[in-house]
Amino acid sequence: MSIVPKDTIHVIAQSIGISNLQDDVAAALAPDVEYRMREIMQEAIKCMRHSKRSILTTDDVDSALRLRNVEPLYGFASGDPLRFRRALGHSDLFYVEDRDLEFKEIIDAPLPRAPLDTSVVAHWLAVEGVQPAIPENAPIENLAVPPETKRGDAHGGGPRKEDDGAIEVKIPVKHVLSRELQLYFEKITELIVAGSDTLLLRDAFLSVATDSGLHPLVPYFTQFVADEVTRGLEDFPLLFSLMRLVQSLLLNPHIHIEPYLHQLMPSVITCLVAKRLGGRAVENHWELRDFTASLVAFICKRFGHTYQNLQPRVTRTLLHAFLDPKRALTQHYGAIRGLSALGSRVVRLLVLPNLELYLHLLAPELSPETQQNEMKRYEAWRVYGALLSASGACVYEKMKAHPYSLPTVSTSTRPKIISPSRKRSAGTELGQPSQKKSHVEGGLLASDATGSVTEGRNFDGGEGSSQAEDVDGSKSRGVESGSMDDGGRRLGVEANRSNERKSFSLAEAWKEDVDFGSLLLSLVDLFGDSMLPFIPTEEMSLFL
Amino acid sequence: MEEEKIEQAVLAYLKKKGYRQAELAFQDEQQTHRSLNSSSGGGADGGGGTTTPSMDPAVANSIFLYARADGTLYKEGYSKLRSWVHSSLDLYKNELLRILYPVFVHCFMDLVAKDFPQEARLFFQTFREDHDTLHLRDLHKLEGVLSPQHLQESELAVAFRENKINIRMCQYSFELLLQYLHSTDSMLMLGIVNEHINIQVFPGQPSPLPEEEEAITLTGKPQEALDSMNQKELRWGTLEDSLEDKLEKELAAEAEKAEAEGKETEADDMKKRTADGGKAGASSKKSKKDKTGTSATGKGAKSDSAAAINAPRVKPDLPMPSLAEETERQVLEDLRNRARLGSNALPSVSFYSFVNTHNSLNCASISADGALVAGGFSDSSLKVWDMAKIGAQITSGDQGTANGVVSNGVTEPKGVALENSKSSYTLLQGHAGPVYAANFSPDNDYLLSCSGDCTVRLWSLRLNANLVCYKGHNYPVWDVQYSPVGHYFASASHDRTARVWCMERLHPLRILAGHLSDVDCVQWHVNCNYIATGSSDKTVRLWDVQTGECMRIFTGHRGMVLSLAMSSDGRYMASGDEDGAILMWDLGSGRCVTPLLGHTGCVWTLAFSGEGSLLASGSADNTVRLWDVNASGKTSRTEEKSSGKRRLRLLKTLPTKSTPVYALKFSRRNLLLAAGAFSPLKTSVTTG
Repeated sequence: MSIVPKDTIHVIAQSIGISNLQDDVAAALAPDVEYRMREIMQEAIKCMRHSKRSILTTDDVDSALRLRNVEPLYGFASGDPLRFRRALGHSDLFYVEDRDLEFKEIIDAPLPRAPLDTSVVAHWLAVEGVQPAIPENAPIENLAVPPETKRGDAHGGGPRKEDDGAIEVKIPVKHVLSRELQLYFEKITELIVAGSDTLLLRDAFLSVATDSGLHPLVPYFTQFVADEVTRGLEDFPLLFSLMRLVQSLLLNPHIHIEPYLHQLMPSVITCLVAKRLGGRAVENHWELRDFTASLVAFICKRFGHTYQNLQPRVTRTLLHAFLDPKRALTQHYGAIRGLSALGSRVVRLLVLPNLELYLHLLAPELSPETQQNEMKRYEAWRVYGALLSASGACVYEKMKAHPYSLPTVSTSTRPKIISPSRKRSAGTELGQPSQKKSHVEGGLLASDATGSVTEGRNFDGGEGSSQAEDVDGSKSRGVESGSMDDGGRRLGVEANRSNERKSFSLAEAWKEDVDFGSLLLSLVDLFGDSMLPFIPTEEMSLFL
Repeated sequence: MEEEKIEQAVLAYLKKKGYRQAELAFQDEQQTHRSLNSSSGGGADGGGGTTTPSMDPAVANSIFLYARADGTLYKEGYSKLRSWVHSSLDLYKNELLRILYPVFVHCFMDLVAKDFPQEARLFFQTFREDHDTLHLRDLHKLEGVLSPQHLQESELAVAFRENKINIRMCQYSFELLLQYLHSTDSMLMLGIVNEHINIQVFPGQPSPLPEEEEAITLTGKPQEALDSMNQKELRWGTLEDSLEDKLEKELAAEAEKAEAEGKETEADDMKKRTADGGKAGASSKKSKKDKTGTSATGKGAKSDSAAAINAPRVKPDLPMPSLAEETERQVLEDLRNRARLGSNALPSVSFYSFVNTHNSLNCASISADGALVAGGFSDSSLKVWDMAKIGAQITSGDQGTANGVVSNGVTEPKGVALENSKSSYTLLQGHAGPVYAANFSPDNDYLLSCSGDCTVRLWSLRLNANLVCYKGHNYPVWDVQYSPVGHYFASASHDRTARVWCMERLHPLRILAGHLSDVDCVQWHVNCNYIATGSSDKTVRLWDVQTGECMRIFTGHRGMVLSLAMSSDGRYMASGDEDGAILMWDLGSGRCVTPLLGHTGCVWTLAFSGEGSLLASGSADNTVRLWDVNASGKTSRTEEKSSGKRRLRLLKTLPTKSTPVYALKFSRRNLLLAAGAFSPLKTSVTTG
């Protein structure tokens, strides 16, 4: 009859030490227990209402007990409402999870952070009846959804019906996707995730790059890329496919992708400077980084002038990765590739001034004596190669622009090419700046006449050079791996004699009218004869 | 029915109860009765029945009841009555349905009182569904009552036992009911109806309220007393010589002056015109038109502003405190610059969100000028934020004043998070229990707070210190409010009383007793002569401050009343309950003007705009709603009589970002200030 069964009373009695409670006593107590419970709940609900809450807490029950002159229950204090869990196998049985706690753990644990202090923040909920769209107000979607459900209730509830005319229900604007587009999207994403059929995949990318009418799918694609990149950092082919998808999207002339760039960029940058890309080391993540670097450069080139802060932000991110010695070498590699892909100006501005110091750091990683791990050493050489090709491309472009400044360089570089043993003498030779400077200035004056022409060609030249760089890069890699040991030894020596002028010329590298000869000189100083392939052939022949 | 059987039953009863004397007397009587019977012979029966008091079968029935001592009779009786009511004529069904709930409750309580707990529980479970929609909360309270002892302890049961429920029904319905009860020998039901229900019979047709089921609310007073009470004369007008009054006079004087000037210029014009001659006849007409036009607009403006103030003026019964000249000037200035609101001129709402409250904010209060915000916490602390100062800091820290928007006379920092929250508030400590309400004095010099420790405390905002602790209530104090002129204040408590205090005395001036349950909220009338209280007994009462008498009882709520507000002309009152319903009352007639439905959670707070054209309500469902009150104000008088009740219009729903609205206040310039605790949702039940 009472909802409190007799057995419960028995259990309670036992818990306070009465083991032989008569059955009829328990039966008589049960209704009273129920009544007292209800009474306390009623008072507790009153306390809850006056605390302006809609969830009953243990504090409310305590207050209710105090109101009835009963000692409150200790040990249940909690700022948050209790979290009930449903007991397995019972539809209406709940319990509060109460884990055993180790004192030691609690004592050893660091002090929890102090809770934030209460404060008051003011904002406009409405201005003359209109709600401004500010983050402090409920977002539009939230505004639109509740009225719908409420209206449903109102129809069921009866008395609200008459009010319906007065309530304005705004239905959220829905983004309608046609069935075909949905199918298309599913197909493409499936292909990319599966990643097996390369031929089909290529066609798919071609389709994304050329089809008109894909614009409604852009937000879904960007979201897809972002999701998959975060999910699939271990999956190398997937990442590559995703980057190719991004490229295809960028290439599609019918797509207006600017509004989604900010969502796209983080994933792209991730693929460039992430610590690990792909699950196994054997996978060629270098290729992915190179590809992504060119992608970044492409984006910056295409949207740089409409979004002024795009390139600065990208470069800042990359430079940050580059200059942080704690980052992995793979990250450095990505950053360097990214920076060099952005053009020689960026390299001169950001990479060259830090070059010397960086190489200094890199040196121990390169030599087999100090770095036992083969993998690590390989990575280091990769980075070295990237730096080399970056500065080399820079040199190449510069030389294209100022061909007349070359002869001075040739004199100083030649001894180095001939034999490493003469380096010291080369070093002493280097101390003749005045003579060279006048030489270069003369060259510069002469080149001023052609300056306008070179400026005009600059853009084409840039593209040409990036192509050339690619070629050179691969070439230099081949060279570099051959001369690995040799270079390692040389670097060790070179790092010792860091003379001031060299670092000065590197630091000044970003200036347009810098003494180019000395720049090249110092670069050659750092890299040795691997620099030579970057010198354009006709000039090369000139001084060889 | 055989007489001997009855006699035996009566004898058995008397024996059982141990009434020896009565038993003997009864036997004597029987003897004489028999002898009489035998003497008069069989003819007496047919003769006239004067000699044999022919036993009413119903009476016999009721006597049998005691003998049978069985719980099932109630169930039978009630289910019969129920099916009869449900199959009765549609026209009268509504009225008859009302009788079921009280009969149900009393049947149940009778069963409990006679110690049939099992039957009582069975009876309750069988029929509770009928009443779930209307009386869910009462049913919850009653459900646990299972022994005669509980009956005496449960406040609701006691209230039901001690008070008759008032039910109105028309002559014919009443006759139908009586006829049924007599004809079916349901003595039991008849007894309950007679004993516990006060049926008020009125002539004519049944009341035309098919859709409106009146809430049955206990008031503790018979209907006649209630009616006469609600007919007492009530002077609901605004206060004489109030600031609004002064403003009115000033405006009138200005208008007169302007008119006089206008006349002068006009006179000048006329002179000129006459000098010019009759050629300007047309133009003079035009100028006249202009003049009438301007004066009309002037008058229009005046009458507009006077619309709220066309209420009668009332002299205060209490000695009034005098106001400092400076504050008076300031208030007048504010009133002069008050933005006019209406259905097409909605107010701006500035929202104060409490962040990082960790579920401990119990109440919020905003000062009249919006510069100060107070929060009462469950850890007994009271914190006061000076928003004007914070705003100034932020604007001076920023380069420009772009963030500080000065609007309606209040400086608002707009959407700027506070960096140094450490020093941003004043902490007032003194209470020893959760702080349930706080209220600023009209001049912003003092703050009142009430708490679970049964006290009310007065704080000085200049000294940031506790001045007085008012002890008097015996149980937690739920609400406290300053009178509109300050100096006096009223408090409401769990001890079922409201008390009126003045700041200088430690003991209450008046104790307002009469509510059948907790007094949950209190609200002063604009003219300071009355106080309204809302209670858990689902009634709102209006009390005369001077005499302490109850002047009105408003019944209609279906849950505990949580918030009250008075319109500025003193004629209307709004009350909000825990179900989300808001009822609008006409104080003069004591009737509900209209219900305002729409909220889905507790209505924590209500506020009328300065000139009374809008009502704002804040609720636990994270919305602020704005209601058009003017429509009813103009039409209620005529329409109430002609076409019954009229619904007021919901103008606007302003959802907040998961912030229940704890406090609302219109500043003197009609900027709506709102406050609430930002509480992101958390699910409390997880499946394991």
